[in-house]
Parts: sequence; structure tokens; C-alpha cells
Amino acid sequence: MVTLYVGSTGGYTGKTLLTIGLGTAFRRDGFRLGYMKPVGILPVRVNDLLTDNDAWRVYRALDLKDPLEDICPIVLTQELEVRSYQKEMKGLIAKVVRSFERVSRGKDIMLIGGYGSIYTGSFLGVQGLDVIKRLGAKVVLVVKYEGQYVVDYILQARKDLKERCLGVILNKVPSDLKQSAYDYTIPFLRRKNIDILGIIPHDSVVGSITVEELSEMLGGKVLCCNDRLSNLVEHFLIGAMQVDRAMEYFRKTRNNAVIVGGDRSDIQLSAIESGSVCLILTGDLYPSEIIVSVAEQKKVPILVVREDTYSIAKKLEKLSVRLRLRDTAKVERGVQIITEHVDFPLLYRKLGIKAST
Amino acid sequence: MLDHFFRPRSIAVVGASRSPGKVGHDILKNITRYGYAGAVFPINSEASEILGKKAYPSLSSVPHDIDLAIIVVPPKHVLAVIDQCGERKIDAAVIITAGFKESGLEGSRLEQELVKRAKQAGVRFIGPNCLGIIDTHAMINASFAAGMPVQGGIGFFSQSGALCLAVLDRALPDEIGFSKFISMGNKADLTDTDIMLALAEDDNTKVILGYVEGVADGRKFMEVASLVSQKKPVIILKSGITTSGAKAASSHTGALSGREAAFDAAFKQSGVIRAHTINELFNFAIAFAHQPVPRGPNAAIITNSGGPGILAADACDKSNLQLIPLHKEYVDELRSFLPPVASFYNPIDILGDAGSDRYERTLQTVLKDERINSVMVLLTPTAVVDVAATAQAVIRVANALDRPVLTSFMGKKSVEGSAKTLLKHGIPNYDYPEEMVASLNAMYRYHVWRHKPAKRMQTFEDCRRKAERVFAEAQKENRDRLNDLEVHDVLRAYGFAQPKSLVARTSDEAVAAAKGIGFPVVMKIISPQIMHKSDIGGVRVNLNTKKDIERAFFDITTRVRNIMPTAHIVGVLIQEMVPRGKEVIMGITSDPQFGHLIMFGLGGVYVEVLKDVSFRIAPLSTEDAHEMIRETKAFPLLRGVRGEPEADIEAIEHSLLKLSQMATDFPNIVEADINPLIVRDRGHGVIAIDARFLIGGE
Repeated sequence: MVTLYVGSTGGYTGKTLLTIGLGTAFRRDGFRLGYMKPVGILPVRVNDLLTDNDAWRVYRALDLKDPLEDICPIVLTQELEVRSYQKEMKGLIAKVVRSFERVSRGKDIMLIGGYGSIYTGSFLGVQGLDVIKRLGAKVVLVVKYEGQYVVDYILQARKDLKERCLGVILNKVPSDLKQSAYDYTIPFLRRKNIDILGIIPHDSVVGSITVEELSEMLGGKVLCCNDRLSNLVEHFLIGAMQVDRAMEYFRKTRNNAVIVGGDRSDIQLSAIESGSVCLILTGDLYPSEIIVSVAEQKKVPILVVREDTYSIAKKLEKLSVRLRLRDTAKVERGVQIITEHVDFPLLYRKLGIKAST
Repeated sequence: MLDHFFRPRSIAVVGASRSPGKVGHDILKNITRYGYAGAVFPINSEASEILGKKAYPSLSSVPHDIDLAIIVVPPKHVLAVIDQCGERKIDAAVIITAGFKESGLEGSRLEQELVKRAKQAGVRFIGPNCLGIIDTHAMINASFAAGMPVQGGIGFFSQSGALCLAVLDRALPDEIGFSKFISMGNKADLTDTDIMLALAEDDNTKVILGYVEGVADGRKFMEVASLVSQKKPVIILKSGITTSGAKAASSHTGALSGREAAFDAAFKQSGVIRAHTINELFNFAIAFAHQPVPRGPNAAIITNSGGPGILAADACDKSNLQLIPLHKEYVDELRSFLPPVASFYNPIDILGDAGSDRYERTLQTVLKDERINSVMVLLTPTAVVDVAATAQAVIRVANALDRPVLTSFMGKKSVEGSAKTLLKHGIPNYDYPEEMVASLNAMYRYHVWRHKPAKRMQTFEDCRRKAERVFAEAQKENRDRLNDLEVHDVLRAYGFAQPKSLVARTSDEAVAAAKGIGFPVVMKIISPQIMHKSDIGGVRVNLNTKKDIERAFFDITTRVRNIMPTAHIVGVLIQEMVPRGKEVIMGITSDPQFGHLIMFGLGGVYVEVLKDVSFRIAPLSTEDAHEMIRETKAFPLLRGVRGEPEADIEAIEHSLLKLSQMATDFPNIVEADINPLIVRDRGHGVIAIDARFLIGGE
């Protein structure tokens, strides 16, 4: 049996989706698969059992059967966090190891999902590095590609992981940075003997968010089209221009949500007419009834939020780095992209395993 | 105070021109053509005579005293002319010249310099960039407007010259009488308040009319308007500045206010009658200028047709006026001469076949009833009615009394002449009954304002001392808002009851806190990043058991961790469950012109969707607090509908006064709201559940 730890040098790099993608491929290739996320930071109750939201999603996506309580042995609730700062936490890593032993029985591959970076978790006594060592895992580093500077972090991680590091997957590579990745980063890493296990382009559908999630995160009120809350928003536009320019601007961008003051009915109408998938009205200002009825007709959900346009845009900027994988269509597309862009032969060779089919 | 403007013994027109069509020519022409008795000196460096008047090359070369200078020279020469005015001891000037603040940066600088130089020279001025001034009683028309209004009691000032022209032109055919016409222009020196004070002193002016776009000093405006409106009615048309959506709205109060609300409140609190359209401005003006103010709300309607009578009655219903039936004695009298199918109650329908005599007798009979404070006479031009004779009849009866009579002779063609006759004899006539009712109502409200008891101001002395530390601390740390604990302390300092509450960081602590407070309790997330706790599901109510608490603690903290991972969770607040009551919201907001405003509204949808809120400028008088609660449309809900008990309205009033005191005590409050404030049944007080305070520098 081999153990593969999906780790990273920072949070929100796309580890969870990648885990699902890798897991799906392993299953496809005939391996008996086990999965665990030692530390979860998104508590959720499933049938009165405390687990982690992301772990629960992976569990369902990979259709796993192991007891759920072992999938995520440590869930960082508010309670646990407060306690861990108040007094020394003991025995958590032992708990992880016990779960691992149960789950890994009879498996070919154990996939381990990291949380945060490989350095987080020290305050609980379950730092990623420690977990990796205790479980004897190999590590694939998932790096959100934001420019050449990421190599610094990769080199440090390799230094700390030594031979356990199998290589890196450059994730969410934006199209405008692709050239620099091929020109500088990749040759550089190869020269340093770091294998590139995959280069996964940024995808706007995977990076999208449902209107429902938006509403929840922005604390918005949905005014109409409750049946369209599953609309996927890929881009955000700010409606602050002259109305004659607005149409043109909105039309250029696929699946956009327009952020606009609640009193700008001209812009709101242009957005609805030009096919925006959601209107975010700022300033706690409600639109006129006409707007709502046109939106109803055209099936464009409207959210009313309290903050001003700038604050909302700022929030969305932050939010885009921590998208969650709730939507199955999104997950399917993500998995497809991953399986296409990960170098599985190389990965298997490094893991020392062979696909049975 | 401004005698040299309106009663000058001599006028110099600096920049007078020989060429017809030029402003410098038209003004001189206007000054000389309407019978002005004083001396007029055209100033022009080249001409020796203009329009039959001897011209002088400069002010200094005029060998007589000059009281008023009208300045029409190009902008770059205005400063020099002002200096010359100073040398000649001319202390009043009207600067017609444009090209100052309204024209950009350069002009703005020039205007600043102008103000400085005028001060040095001891010259007060109207303008620049104005149309001029007219005084019909002194027979001066120092403007370039076409025409001269007839003499009358309306004193009009306007920030917009164009509106002056429109109003003047509209007044001419109907022979609506004016006392003074003042185009204010840029208001660089003399402002609305100076003019209002001057018009208040002017015996020829019965009613003051104004068009205002903005005021420089809101507080001063209110102070002067309150004073002047005690003497004579002040009617102002304020062009609307609607709330801009781009405005950052961090709280309810902030989102709901805006300049519009501030002006509206300021007008109400200073007795200014607000006109919303130019038409209304006229309608109100002619009523006030010609008729006495009604001394009570009781109005009677006399009509010769049903429909218009009902329209008028409907309008009364929405106003502060009341239609009461006549005393039996007079109803019987009406019966003695009206056809039996007539309607003898109010509105009194004297039927379509009524002639002028029937109108006259009815009007006489109605006015015998001393309880009737005002009468409205409606006329539909039927085939039988003699419109002119009816007008005469109304004039005969109405003018013998000190109670207002307003008419609405409807139509155009057949009533036009009579409408004019009516107005000439002091009876304002309106095209439609609604306009008539609105005008009468404005008069009645003015009566109420005039007879209001003096404002009672209640102060709460020791609150400030208790809250001072909190504000000082926050300011020292350069924070823009108070934290939950500070909010609690400030509210307590001002005597707001609050639910018992304790902070808990873990579910064990939460359970202990709930036991200490006593079940049931409410749990709320505490995080500096979360302003609106319930928006993100950070509030749970009615928790009854240990298990409820543990579950709620998990749910709330987990939810926040999931949707706002970057928010710092301090813990939760365990609060006593407050007994049921009505939810209201009150707040403080600040306006650049008027300072702090106090807001009130019913909570929930009433505020959020219907924006049913009222505003007053702080400090509030007891009456202000009383009125602003009753002004909201949802007020009946507080008084109790369908057998519900009445809410503790007195406690709301008291709370508003406390909030007003807070605004006065701490000028650096930018915005605050208490939302919700639970109002319990009468006698049981109010409880502040949640509040926010934003503070600024200074």
C-alpha cells in the first residue's frame, strides 16, 4: 500500500478538488482506494456525526464506504480551537494514526487530504509535516500558480519534505501566466530535480460560484427567481458606467453577475437584458417593482446586499480564493480537467505502482 | 436692514449700455420705465446720455449721493467697481454679471476675491450671476426680466434666475401681485436668511416665497426660518436631491437618510411650508397672500355637482382638514330654500341648476355657523349657472369675513374671466378641487404651527459624563466604531434598558451563562467582522435547554467558519429572551448642512422595504419626538390594531429624546442605530436589543 498526501504551501490551492480528481483516476485504474482528511476546518454534522464539509464531499464524490467517523478524525470547531489555545492538546496525532490504520486496511492507495499548508496545525500538535512522517506518506504539492515567485515556497517545502516530495502540480494556471510558467518556472523546477506532475489551467466554470452561495456569503436577500439560485456566476462586473456603454460591456462577459447600486435602474435593466445571470444590488436599496418583474420574466435572480459596491467587490475578491465545491456540475468538470492534465504515468512511477488496466 | 436695496433714493447702473438687447441697456430701461421716482445714473465711459439720462464715465464722477449700484460690467471689472463703491460710500450693490463660481475654478477664485474686497469696501451685495431685483411698491425694476408684476403681498426670492423669469411670466397674465422679486444668484454675500429677514420686516410682504437649491448653513437657516415663520408664512420650493445609491450605507439609518430627509425635517421644525412643485408654490402663495388663515380644521364645501364635491371631500380626508356637518339650525335654514333633493350635509350640494343667488344664500348660511373655520366653493360651469354673477356673489359674502373662502371654478373657457375677478378681489381660485384643498390645508397647518406652544427641550445632564470615557477611548485608538461592549456601556449611560447578557467562548461557558441568566436565552455571534449578525445566521433565539445551547453554539460558530473563514470569532453573547413587543428602530445620522438627524421607524419590513421612517434634526423638542412617531404610516400598529394592547409610545418618545441628547453630547457620532428596540405594552418600557455606533474624527 502507498500513502499519498495532497499538501500545499498555502491554503485554498485547490487540494480538495484535486483529491477528488486523483481519487477518481485511481479508482478508474483499478486501485482499491482509501481516503482521509486528518484535520477538518469546516465543521458539519452528518447524521449527528461531526465531520468536515470538504471531507464529506470527497467521501460522497468518491463513493467511499469506510466509517465516516474515521474519515476526518479531528474537526476544528470553535470549541476545539479555543481549548487548544487555552491548554496543551494531547493525543490528537495518535487519534489520526488509529483512524488511518482502520481505513487503510486492504487498500492499495491511501489518499490523505491536507488542510491549510503542510506547516499548519502545530497548535493542535498535528502539523502537516508530522502527519506525513507518522503515516509514512509521499507528498504531491499542489501550488496555486500566481507567478514565478511560487518556486521559493516549493523549494522550501522540498527541503522540509526531502525524498517524500514526489513533485508539484501547478494548479489554476491563468492563461496570461501560462507562458511565464513554461518559460521560467517549469524549467527552473526541473533543473532543481523537482518533477512536474501536472499543469492544470484555470477554468472559469470550476472557479464559478452559485447565486445561492453568493447570497449566503454576502448576507444578501434574494428578491426573485428562487428557482435560479443554482445559476453559476463566473465573472463579476461593476455597473458604474453610462447606460449606453453598459450593454456592450455586459455582453462581452460570459455568465456574469453585475454589482450595481440599488437605485441604478437603468444599469439593472441593461444587465437583465444583456443576459447577466445575477444582479447584486448594493447599498441596501431595493429596486423598483418593474425591475423585479422584468427579472422574473428573464429569470435573473436579484440579491440585495447592505454594503456599498466597493466593499462588495472587495469581499468577492477575497471570496474567489476560497470557493467551495458544492455544485456537482462544477466538480465533474474539475475532475475531467484534472484527469486530463495530471501526468499519471509519471505519478505512478514515482509512487512505484502500476495501473491494473 | 436692506433699505438701500429696496428703498434707494438713487441708483447707478454701472455698465449701462446704449445698445438695446444688451443687459446693461435692458436693466436701465426697466429701472426708468415703471415709475421709479429716484435719480438714475447710467455709468458708461463713452456715452454722454443713455435712454434720456445723463451718463457718467465712472461712479466717482457722479456729483450726487448714490444708494444702490447695479453692476453689469464684465467679470474682470467687477472688483474695481466694488472698490469704487467703497470709495463712494455706496453700501448696496446688485451684481448681475455672470462668470463667477458657476463658471469654474477661475470664476470661483474671482468670487472669493470679490467677497473679500466687498467686505473691505463695506459693500453688501446680491449676486453675482443674478437677474436683479424688483420692488413693486417702490416701483423699481432693477432686473432684465420682461415685464413688471402688479403690486401685491408676495415676496419672492430665488436661487435660480430662470425660475424667477418663469414665475414672473406666469404671474403676469393672472395679475398675481408681488411685493418683491429677488434673484439671489450665487449668494456670495447676502443669502436666503438675510433676504428672509428683510422680507419679514417688509410691511408690503404678506407671504414669503422662495426657491432654494441648497443652503450653506443649515442651522442658521432653521434659526432664521423659525423666527420669520412666526411672523408670516414662508413657503419654499426645494429642488430635490434624492439619496444617492453610491453612498456607502453601513447602517439602516445611513441608508435611509440623505439630504432630502434633512431638508424635510428642517422645514417641518422651522415652520416652513414646503411646496413640491412650482404650481403648488403659486397655489399656496395666492391663498396666503389674499385670505386669512383658518383658525381651525373645520371646513365646509359648497358645490353644484356631486363628482367634484366628492373629489374635494376625498382630498380633505387625506389632509388635516375636517368636514363637519352644519349645526341643525343652519341645516334647517338650508332646507328652507334649497331644493329637497339637495345635499344639506357637508359637502353641501346645491345641485346643477343653482344660480348665483342660491350660491350666495348658501354661503351666507354656512358662514353663520361659527364652528366652520373655512369654506370652499366649487363650481362646475353648467348651462344654467351665471359664472360671473356667482363670482360676484362669493366676493360680496366672503370679503366681509375674517374666515378664508377659497374657490375652484372648474374649467377654462367659461370661468377664466371670473377666476381673474375673484383673485382681483382677494379670492384665490383653483383649476381643480384638490389644489384648493391642498392650499387650504397648508394654511391650516400654518395656523397650527403659529399656535404651537413654545418648544420644550428636555435635557439629561449626567448621561454624557458616564459615556465620555467610551468615546474618548475609541477616539484615542482611532477606531471608527464602538465594539459590542462599548455599545452596551453607552446605551446604559443613556438609560436604555438592555437584556441581561454574558459573553461565552465555549459551549460550556455558554451553558453556564444561560443558567446564570435563566432560560430561555438568545445566542448571538460576536465577531468584529460581522456587523449584521442575523444576515449570516449568527443569531438563535428561544434556547431552552443545555442541549439547545450546545447545538446552537456549534451551529452558529460553524456557520460563520464556513461562510466567513477570515472572520475572527470572539465567542457568543448569551442574552436574556426579551418579552414580546413591537420592534422599532431609531438612529442618529449626520448631514453636512444640518448636523445630526434623529431617525425613527417601525422595524422589519416597514423600515427595510417600505422605508417608512421619519426624521428630525437634533436636538429634538418633546413635540418633535411626539410628532415623528405619529408621522410614520405604521403608527397605528403601535397604538394597537384589532384589539392589540397599545405599545409604550411614551417610552419611545423618551428614548428619542435620550438619543437626541446623545447626538448633542457627542458631535463625533457619524451614525448610530438601535435596531431593534423592543417596545412593550404601555407602561412596560422599551429594551434595546442591538445597536451600532460609527464615530468620526474631530
